[in-house]
Amino acid sequence: MELARSAREGDESAFEEIMRRYSPRVFRFAGKFFKQRSLVEEAAQEVFLKAFTELGSYEGRGSMEGWLTRITTNTCLNLLRSSKRRPELTVSDLTEDQSDWLDKNLTDAATQQHQSSERSLVAADLAGRVLHTMPADDQLVLTMIDGEDASVKDVAALTGWSESKVKTQAFRARRRMREAVEKLLAGRKGRRALSDARS
Amino acid sequence: MRDEHIISLIENTSLGNLSDNDLTVIRAHANECSNCLRAFEAAQLSLLLLKEHAAVQFEPSPFFHTRVLAALRERQAVNDNWAFGRLWRAAGALASSMVATVAALAFLTFVIPDRHVATISQASLNANGYSAEEVILDQAQSEEVSEGQLLTTIYDGDEETK
Repeated sequence: MELARSAREGDESAFEEIMRRYSPRVFRFAGKFFKQRSLVEEAAQEVFLKAFTELGSYEGRGSMEGWLTRITTNTCLNLLRSSKRRPELTVSDLTEDQSDWLDKNLTDAATQQHQSSERSLVAADLAGRVLHTMPADDQLVLTMIDGEDASVKDVAALTGWSESKVKTQAFRARRRMREAVEKLLAGRKGRRALSDARS
Repeated sequence: MRDEHIISLIENTSLGNLSDNDLTVIRAHANECSNCLRAFEAAQLSLLLLKEHAAVQFEPSPFFHTRVLAALRERQAVNDNWAFGRLWRAAGALASSMVATVAALAFLTFVIPDRHVATISQASLNANGYSAEEVILDQAQSEEVSEGQLLTTIYDGDEETK
């Protein structure tokens, strides 16, 4: 609270200290929504610029971390909304690594919890591509609830949405994500069948 | 449950939060229903993708704080310029309105009255067809005539009585 007060009065070193303390968390949080470092940095910078201008509204009731997380959520959501959604992803858009990942994980998706870092990056990139075809609100709930195991209540508190809205949004988002992956899998199976028939 | 489709079950909750009992029911049904099997496989892969997506972490670069502070100063400078510009514009508007008022007053004071008098006298000249002097002379003449008429009237009356 003391740091916030000093920063509000124009003490630059106090604001720098706030950044030093909380920027790792802001980066980790923004990193859930963007997979390019430049976008994560852009989001984090916007968060701290917003935080500086809104320091007057921080009353010190909750933790500064929670306050900054709310700002980060809204900033990321706005950036996701403003970024152009990609059209539907098809099998032909996938890289070879991504296609292999789908093939290999189709059989044992339930058991394979830990993957090599290289395969994890391929999966993360593929997930990003699938998510990018979906509305921003879908991306947010899927990343937080299914990806991060956040509760409906937590997401409602961070976004300001009602819990029923979060539940409905999550339901629709899961359906869209599942259908997108199902199409990719169907495309892969079709291609495999075609290549098997040729050979 | 085995005969019921499990799609709504896998969409209502994250697969990671389903109980073992629910998963057993889902698997049992999926073994007999190809549509639900495809949906379940896709849901499992979706969850795996989302977990991998969320697992990627970023740390701030060493120059991040400096960059934010620079952006903050830049934004403040823009805001200051904007505030000065707004002040300048407000003052400019005030000054121009004052100049306009003074000009209007000067016009009303020095230009309009002369023109007004000149217009009135010219208008009266045009209406009557003679000047003020003529009016006075005419008046004098008419007064002389009337005195003469008066004397004539008096003396004529006396002569008639004689």
